[in-house]
Amino acid sequence: MSDTRPQGQPDEAMVDLLIKQVTEGLSPDEQRALDVMDSEMASAYLRDLERAAAAVTLAGSGAERPLPAALSARIAQQAAEHFAAANQVTDLAAARATAAYKAVHDQAAAPSRARGGGAYGWIAAAACLVLAVIGWERSPPPAAPVAVATPPPVVAPPPEKPVPPTAAEQRAALLAKADSLKIPLGATKDPAAAGVTGDVVWDPVTQRGFLHFTGLPPNDPSVHQYQIWIFDSGRDKRYPVDGGVFDVPADAGEVVIPIRASLMVRKPAAFAVTIEKPGGVVVSGRERVVALGQAG
Amino acid sequence: MSPSVLQRIASGDSAAVRECMDQYGPLIWSIARRLSRTPSDAEDATQEIFLDVWRSAGRFDASQGSDKVFIAMIARRRLIDRLRKTSAEPPMDPVEVLETVAWADPGTASETSIEAEQAARALAELRPEQRQVLELGLLHGLSQSEIAARLSMPLGTVKSFMRRGLIRVREFMNVDAKGVLSEG
Repeated sequence: MSDTRPQGQPDEAMVDLLIKQVTEGLSPDEQRALDVMDSEMASAYLRDLERAAAAVTLAGSGAERPLPAALSARIAQQAAEHFAAANQVTDLAAARATAAYKAVHDQAAAPSRARGGGAYGWIAAAACLVLAVIGWERSPPPAAPVAVATPPPVVAPPPEKPVPPTAAEQRAALLAKADSLKIPLGATKDPAAAGVTGDVVWDPVTQRGFLHFTGLPPNDPSVHQYQIWIFDSGRDKRYPVDGGVFDVPADAGEVVIPIRASLMVRKPAAFAVTIEKPGGVVVSGRERVVALGQAG
Repeated sequence: MSPSVLQRIASGDSAAVRECMDQYGPLIWSIARRLSRTPSDAEDATQEIFLDVWRSAGRFDASQGSDKVFIAMIARRRLIDRLRKTSAEPPMDPVEVLETVAWADPGTASETSIEAEQAARALAELRPEQRQVLELGLLHGLSQSEIAARLSMPLGTVKSFMRRGLIRVREFMNVDAKGVLSEG
């Protein structure tokens, strides 16, 4: 195992805080105290303690019981939705590559393509296109005309993989459904919220939804991320359902983000977007709410 | 070496998702039941843990440990976060009967994972009361204050037992990783 841990040993105060973090979690004050300590050493030691605690958990796990059937079915359904959403287009760079690919592919009069399916094919196709373009740019200048006609350079046809619908297209399809809800999204008093407009489209039957907005400033994912929250009338309002984290790139413009509810939402009362630490949080302190939409 | 189920999930193998549920569902469910206040909480927690597993599969590094310990770490993080958020609620009843834990025996725990075997060897060296503190804290999710109340033990002693116990397990794991026993 490679070991890149920092030299030296953590002091007693740091160890006490890290053990508490691993066994029962830290209060906000304790977390702040830990945050001002040597972060590299704390991270390395925390990782070791988490592994040790997990190993003890395994040693004492004893006879395991199978997942209840209904719970297993819900997890399988959630997994299907999660991976379907993960395959959707949310990345603007990829979207641009797709647009570039489409333009060239249409010129080449390729056969029509079916919709639906995974995203890997068109990403590969876009990569082929980029390689082909690079190849063109590096080619020597054409030789003098000769009698024999040579065919024009041809972009290698990409594999005939279906192109998945974009998040915007899926949102439009969801919006057309009779059961879907459309909830306007408004700005809050947070400085980052100035100029935010948009909406949430949510289908209570399939538990799918999309956040659509303009005006949120770009974020650095290593510093903070945006997180979606769903307030469910059937749940304690202190603990809204996590709807997933997302980033806003520098030149985003209009953005559509799939909502990935971590739990079943019985009756959505409101949707909110907060600014959180990278990776999101389980319970938001709600210090920075940047967008809010309430169901009528 | 064939890729683990987590590596297959990260590479987009949809069949690996079902395998992961079959392989690790009982473990996650078992941990969630112990570290949740109600059966309904345990169900919600299990769903959230699996979502964390799908999101984190790409970060699994087989050189840093087994997939089982990786999943147990994810489960513990989520469950501790959930316990923390309900910490304003009344603490667990100090006389509540907790499910008895049967520790794996050193020499047989390797059937579970290499890390479980290392932990079992470290736990076998601890005094019974030290082991009990680890059991209540790590397997039943009691806070150090709750353990102190339940065992009528000074809080400082609970902290000390928890600290020495975890550090001892960590040392055993590092011994196997480096072949050298660290000072402690």
